[in-house]
This record gives sequence, structure tokens and C-alpha cells, in this order.
Amino acid sequence: MKIRRKFVFDWRVCILFLPPLLFVLFFTIYPMIKMIVMSFFDWKIGYMQTSTFLFLDNYITVLKDPIAKIAIQNTLVYAAVTVPIQIIIGLFAAVLIHGIKRFSVSFRLVYYLPVISSWVVVALLFRYIFSNFGLLNYFIVDILKLTSRPIGWLSSRWSALFAAMLLGIWKGIGWNMVIFLAALQAVPKEQYEAASIDGANKSQRFFHITLPNIRGTMLFVITMLVIGAFNTYTPITVLTNGNPAHQTEVVLTWMYFQTFEALNMGYSAALSVIIAIIIMVITLILFSFRSRNRRLER
Amino acid sequence: MMSKIKHSPRRWWIWFGKHTIMNYLLLVLGALVMVLPMLYMIISSFKENAKTFLYPPVLFPQVHEITISNYRYILDNTAFFRYLGNTLFVSLMTVLISIIVASLLAYAFARLAIPGKKIIYGFIISIMLLPGLALIVPQFELAARLKLINNLWGVILFYSAWVTPFSTFLLRGYIEDNIPTELDESILIDGGSIFSVYRYIILPMASPAIAAISILNFLFPFEELGWSQAILKWDQIRTLPVAITMFFQAHNRTDWGYVFAMTTLAMLPVVCFYLLLQKYFISGLSSGAIKG
Repeated sequence: MKIRRKFVFDWRVCILFLPPLLFVLFFTIYPMIKMIVMSFFDWKIGYMQTSTFLFLDNYITVLKDPIAKIAIQNTLVYAAVTVPIQIIIGLFAAVLIHGIKRFSVSFRLVYYLPVISSWVVVALLFRYIFSNFGLLNYFIVDILKLTSRPIGWLSSRWSALFAAMLLGIWKGIGWNMVIFLAALQAVPKEQYEAASIDGANKSQRFFHITLPNIRGTMLFVITMLVIGAFNTYTPITVLTNGNPAHQTEVVLTWMYFQTFEALNMGYSAALSVIIAIIIMVITLILFSFRSRNRRLER
Repeated sequence: MMSKIKHSPRRWWIWFGKHTIMNYLLLVLGALVMVLPMLYMIISSFKENAKTFLYPPVLFPQVHEITISNYRYILDNTAFFRYLGNTLFVSLMTVLISIIVASLLAYAFARLAIPGKKIIYGFIISIMLLPGLALIVPQFELAARLKLINNLWGVILFYSAWVTPFSTFLLRGYIEDNIPTELDESILIDGGSIFSVYRYIILPMASPAIAAISILNFLFPFEELGWSQAILKWDQIRTLPVAITMFFQAHNRTDWGYVFAMTTLAMLPVVCFYLLLQKYFISGLSSGAIKG
């Protein structure tokens, strides 16, 4: 409706726009503001309990807490490992599928299967495979004979995180593949033909034509995957529940524990705010890349 | 030119020829990695529960060892269909609410003149950046105050609000890219209101994107654990992810035969749904992503 240049009050616009907006505001923005308020209090949820104002004490507690540090570290490691590997494998699979003529739909279907399966289900499956007398240890000990004793995958910090990251990568490849495949199909074919005539080989064509053309998609995927990595809750809960001794907590599982087990509402609100700030900084960095690319194109 | 020579359709072996045989080999390898864990789960669900602890693990049980006792146990001892029904109800309601809310918002953001539109849109998009559970403390308090604890609506309303930003983002992009403004104007010039534009132009023309988003949102309740675990405490009203987790914990975290029978049963409707609607899954997912 670009006919109307100046804003004129219109009751129809209000009726159409306000109810859905209020719905979203009420269930998300209002809690967001509430969370910031709560993070400055020793918040009590119970009847007739008073919340005392602490100002920054919750933040100091979080920042000094060694387990919060472990949880944030684990989350960052999880993101730093799973995001690039998912992208590389997903993009590779997309290139492979893009290069074949038959069965491409079937492969897409199969690769996407882990994406649609529920986190709870696949996490339980991985817990079984990674258990002390599970399939993986059987392969390592009895078939490959790499060690003589089974490895307690889920009972120490890094090996448990390894299992969680493997699960995340395995489940995420299909999503990356589908998105990248769509992006590959949108790359103009003339560019490839021109490059072939100029004598560019396969890898040159990939790095000089494909990659620059899918840059926008790449940034979208990175952003979504980083957010997804911070969103990791179910796999850790099911695989280890943060054990042993909270060594495998990620930010959300630790926040959940603080909220519902330790009942430190103020603490988890402060932790939320800190996570929000971390995510915001990361996305701002990613978006600055994007706008720089846009400028370069002009 | 070159490519035409390479892909001569006459020779049957050409699509299996030296250029693509590597592609196929690698893809089949990858497909095995994707599928084998799932197959292992299904096989384990047909082993007798006690045999799932055996070491070395039995990869392929003998024919006479295959049993459906685990499935019988699940159907007899848990309210599986009740959980499934709860999950389906939550899914359908979440889809309904989120599509109505997101399509109205997307239309408004794409086409209507609203003061401060960019700022409001930025706010809504910024919710997308936060993990859903990050707001769990204030949202739980809100749910408690609205008496929505132990109530399926406590899950439905919050899920709808969580998935709305991303749905709005995708739909807005779709409307801006694929629906010409001339269509809106033709209705407005004929004296129609913005409601008729929404009803007769936006909704039908955006239906491919709406279908894709519906599928995404439909699967969300089959997936989400943290919030539903906090809200749904009674056994009667649990959704599948909560029910499976609780069953697993109640069975010493080890009765894998039963657990995998339950997870396989829970996967069944999702996979059927996926196979039926596969083309929407993929087309819609990527439509919003390419422009980035």
C-alpha cells in the first residue's frame, strides 16, 4: 500500500495488527522485560514471600560461579565445533546431490530423516549406543581392539560432550544440506559455463563461483546454527543430565537446574540476560559481515 | 557445450559413469550413517527387553528371537495413545494460532503503513535470536499466574508465541518476494478493505509458505522437552517427549527394549507425516533461506 504516503489513523489497521502484536508482546516481550527486572532481585515465586533488591549481586554470583563458567564454556565449544562441521558436511552433501541426476530426491529424503526425528528419541538412541556396554564400545574394544577396557563415554566431561556434539552434527547435516542445495540451484548456470570455457577446474569453480554466490545463505545458516547451539537443552538432559558433578552442563540445562531444582530465580534470570548479551554480540558480528558484503557488491 | 557432451542420455551407464560414481558412493555412505542408527533402534525394539543388555550387543537377532512383547508392554502399561492424542492436539492448536498470528503480522509488516513498524519488527525478530527456554523463569511465573500449569493450553499458547517470530520472518519474506502489490491495489481500488486483501490475496497466494511453516510448527511439540516438562506434571496430560523421558527415568534408565518400542511408536506418525508431505518440507524451508 504505497499509495498512502503519510500515516493516517485507520481503525482497520489497528484491528488487523494489534491483536496478534499484543499476543506476541504478552507472551514474549513482557517476560523478557520481567526477566531483566528479576535479574536484579532475589526473586521469590512463593506465596507471601518478598523479593529483595540486590542490584548486580546475581550477575556477580553468576560470573563468579565455576559451574556457570563450565556451562558457558561447554556451550561455546559445542557451537565452535558443531557449526563449522555441520556446514562443511552439509554443503559437501549438497554439492554431491546437486551433481547427480537420479535419486537426488531419495537422498534428500534420507538425509533429512534425522532432522525431523525428535531430539528425545535420537538422544536416547545415542545414549544407548554410547553406554558402557553399548555398540560403540563393542566396536572399539572387541572389533577394532583399540583398548582393552570399555570407555565410559558419558561419565567424563569431554567424551560426553563429544557424544553430544556428534549427535548434534548427525542430526543437523540434513537441514544444512537442504538449505545449501536450494542455494546451489539458484546459482546462475552461465557463470559455470563461462568459467569452464576459461578453463577453471572443479575446485576453482567451487571457490570462485559457488561460494561467493551462496554467501547470503551461508550467513543465514551460521546465524541459525549458532542460535541453535545455544538452544541445546534436550540432548544434554537425556545424555548426561549435566553429570558428572555438573561438568557437562550447557547454559540451558544449568539455567533449568537453577530454576526448578535450586529455585534461584534471580540467578537464572541473570544467567539468561548474560546469554542474551552473548548471542546478541555474536549475531551483531555476523550481521556486520553481511552488510560489509552488501557494500562490496555495490 | 561441454556438459551436453558429458551427459548423453543414450548410454545407461553414464549416470553411473566415472564423473558421478564417486558422488553416488559418498552419498550412499552418508545415507547409511543417517539411517543405520535408526535401524538399530528399530531392531532393538524387537529384541526381548532383557536381551538389550547383552554384551556383545546382538546386531541382528535370529528370526525366532524377534518379539513384539516390548510393544505390547508399552501399549498395555502406558497411556501411549493418550500421550499421542495430547501431542497432536497441542500441535494442531499451535499451528492454528501461530499461522493466524504470523500471517496477520507478516501482512502488516510487508504492506501496511504503521508508525514505528521497523522498530516493532526488529523487536519481534530479536525474540527469534533468544533460545526459547531462556525466558523460562518469567514465562513460568506468567503461566502460573494465568493458571496454566498442568494445562495443555499452557503449552499451546507459549509454543505459539515462540514459533511466531520465525514464521513471521519467513512469511513476510515470501509475501514481499512473491505477491505483487498490484494485486492488493486492485482490491483496494475496487473498494475492498485490507481484510479482503488479507483474505482473498495474501492467504491464498502465500499458501505454499503457510504449508511449509505449518509443518515446521506442527513438529515442534513432538520435539520440545524443557517447557512441556515444566508445565505438564500430571501423567494424563503429558505430551510424547515428556512421557518418553519420564518412562525412561521410571525404568531405571535402562529398559532399552521398552524405551525403543515407545520411541519407535512415537516416530511412526512423524515419519508418515514427513513422507506424505515431503515436497512441502523442502520447498518451504529453503524459500526463506536463500535470500538470507
